[in-house]
Amino acid sequence: MTLRRFTKSVDGSIPVQALLYNDEDLFTSQDGVGIYDGTQKSPAHQSGVVYATTHRLFYIDRQNELTCSFVLDLSHITQTEYYAGLFKSSAKVTLHLSGANASNGSVSSTPVVGSNDDTVETGFESWECQVCAYRNPPGLSPAAARICGLCGVPRSSMPEPVKLSVPSSNKSIRQEITSLSSSLPSSATASAPSVVSPRPVHVRKPSSIACPACTFLNHPSMRSCEICGTDLPRIQVGQPEMKSAPASRPTSPDTESDDEDGDGQTPKTRMMKLSFRKGGDKAFYAVLKRSLQGKAWEIKHPSGTPSNDTEFNRSGISGIIRTVEASAQNRDTHMFNAFQDLEALMVKAKDMVRLAADLNERLTASSTITSTALDTSRDSPTSSVTTLISPSHTEPEEATFIRSSLSQLGLQMTNTPVTLDMMKDERKWFEELAKELAGVLQGQGQSMSVGQKTTEGGMMKQRGIIALDEAWGGWNRARGVALIPPSTFLQVLPHLPAYTTPPITKRRFKSGLAVLHTPPYSSAAFAARLCGLLTLVGPKTTTEIAEEESMTVGLAGEMMGSVEETGDICRDDGSAAIREGREERGEIERVVGSGEQGLGEGMIVAGEVRWWPNLFLGYKWDGQLDYVSS
Amino acid sequence: MALSTHTTSTGYLLPSIHSAPPFFTQQPNPTTLSIATEQWIRLILGYARHRKLFFLRVEDAETPGNDWDEVLRNERINRKLLPTYLSYILDTMVKKNLAAYEPPKQTRAVLLHWRLPEEWAEALHEWATSTGQLNSILTFYDITDPPLESSLTGIPIPLLRKAIAILAKTNRAQIITIADGEGVRFFTGNK
Repeated sequence: MTLRRFTKSVDGSIPVQALLYNDEDLFTSQDGVGIYDGTQKSPAHQSGVVYATTHRLFYIDRQNELTCSFVLDLSHITQTEYYAGLFKSSAKVTLHLSGANASNGSVSSTPVVGSNDDTVETGFESWECQVCAYRNPPGLSPAAARICGLCGVPRSSMPEPVKLSVPSSNKSIRQEITSLSSSLPSSATASAPSVVSPRPVHVRKPSSIACPACTFLNHPSMRSCEICGTDLPRIQVGQPEMKSAPASRPTSPDTESDDEDGDGQTPKTRMMKLSFRKGGDKAFYAVLKRSLQGKAWEIKHPSGTPSNDTEFNRSGISGIIRTVEASAQNRDTHMFNAFQDLEALMVKAKDMVRLAADLNERLTASSTITSTALDTSRDSPTSSVTTLISPSHTEPEEATFIRSSLSQLGLQMTNTPVTLDMMKDERKWFEELAKELAGVLQGQGQSMSVGQKTTEGGMMKQRGIIALDEAWGGWNRARGVALIPPSTFLQVLPHLPAYTTPPITKRRFKSGLAVLHTPPYSSAAFAARLCGLLTLVGPKTTTEIAEEESMTVGLAGEMMGSVEETGDICRDDGSAAIREGREERGEIERVVGSGEQGLGEGMIVAGEVRWWPNLFLGYKWDGQLDYVSS
Repeated sequence: MALSTHTTSTGYLLPSIHSAPPFFTQQPNPTTLSIATEQWIRLILGYARHRKLFFLRVEDAETPGNDWDEVLRNERINRKLLPTYLSYILDTMVKKNLAAYEPPKQTRAVLLHWRLPEEWAEALHEWATSTGQLNSILTFYDITDPPLESSLTGIPIPLLRKAIAILAKTNRAQIITIADGEGVRFFTGNK
């Protein structure tokens, strides 16, 4: 029949699945279908199974599978109609067809499978892509066979490769794409790519040259673009016809010609009917419509997902299957994404750690400068104080949060304050605290001990003794927000000598003042040093001693008091002085600086106490000997 | 710092400790303080013996210009003994029975016992015997101010009284009340 031109014979004994292209999917099938060629029954195709796929429509005859089966490309279908059955007339689906060039090969039903060994268009042999050299396998649908499976570049569709210049190949590709993506009526042209335009071998002078920069169509004899001045490409032999506007539909010679209809049908109404003698028409029709809408035979972008089949999803068993498939795919996608996130996180974690460490360092570095400004009574050099934080400059909460969170992650930061939740048990916590305190103190103590060794005669601005409250305050300031209560501080102190070199111990004075000191400042050592100093230099006041030992005057007074208690020194109260003219006790008028030592019997500061080595010890009376008067 | 002794203008040799300023300060350290106080007492008593001074008052430390200046002050080192310290020293002496508050019931003046009252009693009896005034009634004035210098010259009456009381215990003296004064008679007592 004349409509046979639209269909191709297939070997129906082969299961339909094997006949499909690689990218073709089988949607549904329906038994008990008869075919009407035009308006008349096709005698050879009255009882068979119709299969609808993404690209084609199969009819496998029941009796004569081998001979009476055919396949119809859905691209030929221009329109469909549905006729629900009435009494004895069964439901029918009418397919309006056009664009007949697919039916090459034999009209009669010869048992030729895919009778297309002479053409390249159906893609039943592998072809090598010119761009990426990928060997495209056979078995793809005609549309898919037109683009390379690896790089997506459409095939230039000539068996012999034609050397195209780069811009012209772009144009040809573009033209192919535009022609292929045209709407359905012109899909006939899409199915016959090799017939239609891009014939790069044509030798003709183009009517206009498109500028590669601004796409303006220049006169063919122009050398440079009129608008933008870019040099125009040289016109070569083989330049195809240029089109700067969206492609107008290339003329398809087939649609107008060959009106081979012999059965009286007008060129327009070439149609085929499917008669559903056993029902199932509605579902089939829905699936068919979906396939037609999907237009899988047209070139789609690789990233295109079948998103427009959602409305067909819910019909029938295939719909259920599709739903299940979709949900499974969703799950897979989600899991994949989740794992990707996890892996990205793991990569970022290292970066995070490094960043936090860097931030920590910068925090401490920025605050050491200000912390020394706060220490008015300390003279330790800046370089020795490394871990104190000044609350006025940085955000102690954030710093502490960063550090505590880092330590909870298991990262040991050298400058973090130790809190209870970081440690497992309390005793270990104390020791860790002691270590930290040692670090805080040793930052000053280090320089102190170094300086102490040379203090015997020299004056170094270090100190090896510090009041307890000062130490506690400094430590808490260094910790920022995670503070240590005094009770904990006292508990930590016994562990301190284990972690400090020289060992720092606690000492309590008579007045209740408690200090931390290094061994040079222990009672005995200090007393010995002091006596040596006094015998060497002479009597000194407390302030002079304080200056000498570079400690606060109050602390020096405490130390002197403790030494005096041991009996190593004696005091000389300035209030016992006599002044010329003023002989009441303690009334000293002139006050001078206490640093002057050369004025032995001269002026002294009122109330100032001078320290002497203990003269009374072992004193032998050398005055007037007693005698007993008669 | 080398300390040196010093001889006062009256011929009394001051110990070297006297030229140490800490000597004039009351030491907080008890040990040191006891040592220093001991030295002070010895110095004071020695000086009193030398100069035959019997009384020591706190005012002597407060205002200069009395007999004790040489001891309580040291102009060379610009130090003086504070009254508080002196009062402490007096208290210590009284406790040691080296002095007695005189008049009693006050703490500002003491009578120095640079010679024990017993010694005074003996000396008194000696003197009475040596001047042949035994068994004669003597007034106090006779004893404290005899025409001849004796070691009893200038002895304060309370001390004299004490000595006489001691002698009376041993029956070597006897207080006799006479008109405007008191007299005493010495006996040779057999002990």
